Amino acid sequence: MTAVESWKQKLAHLMPPDLAREIDIFETQIELRKQGKIDERVFAETRLRRGVYGQRYDNGQRHDGVRVQKLRLPSGGLTKGPETVWDAPGMIRIKIPFGGLNPEQMEVLADLSEEYADGISHVTTRQDIQYHFVHIDDTPSLMRRLAAVGITTREACGNVVRNVTACPLAGVCKDEVFDVTPYAKACSKFLLGHPDTQDFGRKFKIAFSGCKQHPCGLTSMHDMGAIAKKKVVNGEERRGFEFYVGGGLGAVPYRAQLFNDFLPQEELLPIAQAASRVFARLGEKRNRARARVKFLVANLGIDEFRRMVLEEREKLAADPRWTDYLSRLHEWAEKPLKPGVSLDGSERPAGFDAWYATNVYHQEQPGYVVATVTLPLGDITADQLRALADIAPRFVKDTIRTTVEQNLVFRWVSEADLPDLYKALCQIGLGEPNAGTIVDVTACPGTDTCKLGIASSRGLARKLRTHLSEASLQLDEAVKGLRIKVSGCFNSCGQHHIADIGFYGISRNVNGYTVPHFQVMLGGKFKDNAGAYGLPVGAVPSKRIPEVVTLVTDRYVRERQRGESFQDFISRIGKKEVKAMLDGLTKVPPHDVDPSYYSDWGDPREFTLTDMGVGECAGEVVSQAQFTLAASERELFEAQIYFDSGDFKKAVLTAYGAMVQAAQGIVKTQHYDISDNEEAILSEFQQRFCDTQLFYDKYAGRQFADYLFKAREALKSRGEIGEDLALRRLQEAQLFIDAAHSCYKKLSELQSASRASVAGTASPGEG
Amino acid sequence: MDLQRINVKFFVENPDGILLTDFIRIFNSWIQASDGEYYDIADYHHVHAGPGVLLIAHEANISIDNTGNRLGLLYNRKQPLSGNNQEKLDFVFRSALEFCRRIEEEPAPQGKIKFGGNEFLFLINDRLLAPNSAATFRAVSPDLEKIAKTLYAGAEFLMDHRNDAREIFAVKVKSLVHFEVLELLHNLQDHGELKKEGSWDTTRSLSK
Ligand code: SF4
Repeated sequence: MTAVESWKQKLAHLMPPDLAREIDIFETQIELRKQGKIDERVFAETRLRRGVYGQRYDNGQRHDGVRVQKLRLPSGGLTKGPETVWDAPGMIRIKIPFGGLNPEQMEVLADLSEEYADGISHVTTRQDIQYHFVHIDDTPSLMRRLAAVGITTREACGNVVRNVTACPLAGVCKDEVFDVTPYAKACSKFLLGHPDTQDFGRKFKIAFSGCKQHPCGLTSMHDMGAIAKKKVVNGEERRGFEFYVGGGLGAVPYRAQLFNDFLPQEELLPIAQAASRVFARLGEKRNRARARVKFLVANLGIDEFRRMVLEEREKLAADPRWTDYLSRLHEWAEKPLKPGVSLDGSERPAGFDAWYATNVYHQEQPGYVVATVTLPLGDITADQLRALADIAPRFVKDTIRTTVEQNLVFRWVSEADLPDLYKALCQIGLGEPNAGTIVDVTACPGTDTCKLGIASSRGLARKLRTHLSEASLQLDEAVKGLRIKVSGCFNSCGQHHIADIGFYGISRNVNGYTVPHFQVMLGGKFKDNAGAYGLPVGAVPSKRIPEVVTLVTDRYVRERQRGESFQDFISRIGKKEVKAMLDGLTKVPPHDVDPSYYSDWGDPREFTLTDMGVGECAGEVVSQAQFTLAASERELFEAQIYFDSGDFKKAVLTAYGAMVQAAQGIVKTQHYDISDNEEAILSEFQQRFCDTQLFYDKYAGRQFADYLFKAREALKSRGEIGEDLALRRLQEAQLFIDAAHSCYKKLSELQSASRASVAGTASPGEG
Repeated sequence: MDLQRINVKFFVENPDGILLTDFIRIFNSWIQASDGEYYDIADYHHVHAGPGVLLIAHEANISIDNTGNRLGLLYNRKQPLSGNNQEKLDFVFRSALEFCRRIEEEPAPQGKIKFGGNEFLFLINDRLLAPNSAATFRAVSPDLEKIAKTLYAGAEFLMDHRNDAREIFAVKVKSLVHFEVLELLHNLQDHGELKKEGSWDTTRSLSK
């Protein structure tokens, strides 16, 4: 055989020169880092901007359920970022603008997952694809192979414009105003690597939607969201967008605010550029927890933000790219492979009808349908993806997309072809029905691979899928249509805020053990572009969450009024009632009675937060503190009741009271006799826990403590309290109380260590 | 051809009733018994005919793999091996077979798991180094034949390669005689001793 050439040589003629050059530069940066010529922090941001992300345990240690093991990685001290060992495998995020894929790209994605990762391509909640367990040394080759089929990982992570998402039905939807695909593509291309998008303090997410009422685009939860709109101007129909800014999920969700109710299409890119400049200039840079656009918009107020963006817009030098693409909009129109023929009379294979009922959408264009390929937890094997690349050209052209619900869709399928398509999917194990139903649970990576994960979102989602799909035939139609979304922590990558039933991972200290729990969120709205965010109703041990789903959905079926939505049902019965319903599920039996509560789904290890890398803490723990923390939760619950009854002012005051009480609980760990005086509590809390960084989250810093002081300042200023503000305060209070529990746990651990030290079992470093 | 990224899969003889999730517990106990050798467990039992449950490590992943709907132990060498091709193959086969043996010894709820020694899949997980072509097969065959002869101690075997440029390079090797995992390990051992290279420790890495 001839000498093996490199991928760089082999693909030189296939890669776009700019992408090829960028990858060469990245490869050089890897080399320079190995030689110690690039600072680890600089390198970390560099690789993030190339989509090369960290993964759980990449600090070189892992708790095996009994002890922390130092992982044998031969890096010799070399790191790829702070506390990130070079040889530790990582995650690669691949940007798929608006989710658009063609068979050639699918095939390459399949190959790469096999050769560089663990054989799985994972579709994310933002239409990206992720690989896990990839070695950084393999990334330049991986990137070259993607570049050769027109895919980049550039700016898939880091403080930049992330993947631009759009409805997977864009262009074929019955309700859309027009196809947003070319706009999403143009926006993605224009902002990628643009000098005005390189100096953000935090990531920037953009979404496009073809209509206002459906959820496919989820524009309300994005930093920037554009909803297609038409308007007659001077007798002529013009295209434009209802344009929103400042939305976002994360720990505290913000709904995007209306920037312009009709932004002409010609202004889309210049306004996006101007907004980027304002964000780069004025957005928070030091405090990551406050650095998203949503905080800037909230701080400035939408009117001032708009004024600044428009002022910036006026200063911009004209760029032909702003409008060049508009003359070529017709080029984006997709073509079907075959004539559209209806299904009538075609033979239906076994199982087809159930699949047809949930996985098929009738397009605007007669005779054509969109067929959804259900991917369990967003995962697809290399063989399946390659097979799909074979199946696709039999039925459609390059019209495949990923979805925010972690599935794939084939668009422009002639309806008469559906039985054959279904059979082909079944042959590769992808004929599962239930797309977009309660069974099709969405989950972020959670503790499987995410460094910030607290509880196993995928483990829970897997369990719920099994639990619900076994019952799916018996499920009431109203329940089938609900959405469940799970996040491994409050950061909400699983989008739990916008689910009918959402969960996010937390932990609780019970009987001296750390026990995995999920916070239950009810009443979020996926429809209307993520039209409403859910509220937390209580923490339940992870192992009892399937029962939560059964209890809540059974009651909905039994007691719902005619045509009543789940959100309306939850508001009608009230959170007090919901909480009472869950009360029986919150108890954790002693460890020796049922140890299963003390480990997470799909993980036999005894549960621990050690793998998150908890910081040091000090203090003395007293049971009074726990009691006060519990009382603070109760008070917060009352705040939620006020909120439900429309008394937003009282809700905010009570939520603040709950936070003060939680702070008091924490202060009590060091100062038994702290009075009930608010000033005294806050002063002690500040001195003992904030100034000393004991009440400090490794990743969120002092964000949670700030919620308390911010709420206090806001109350002093006596501004108007509307629904949105009240909702936000409730969310912040919940997070503050969760953080208080975490802090309490850290203090308990320290106390145990101190006891061990007194007993003569101190660790070697101790004096 | 300098063989790298060598993969070997031995198939389970009695796959009925085996639960992939049992391997999470088994691999976890291996992790607990090791000293930082294994990185993590990846659980993909929810996907059809997929990678199953993987035990991830820096040098090689081990998995109970269900690709092609055939359950087996896949040893996936990731880091480069030094030595000549026979030494590398010897190392990879010993490692894979040792893991098979270890699994066979594990108590599992549905009875002992058994691997068939008379058949294995040999793969090179690198499309650049080893495109799945007749040319690669010609280049690899002498080394593969040699190790198969050692494994099967002279018994007849067949090598089946299918050209498919899209798949990773794979050769199915099947002996006409039944072999146990332990027998294959002994055959490798005997061969090693004949070569007076002393006994092998499969935990010993040959990586540079
Ligand atoms: S929500 Fe939390 S656990 Fe899930 S991916 Fe995001 S940061 Fe990780």
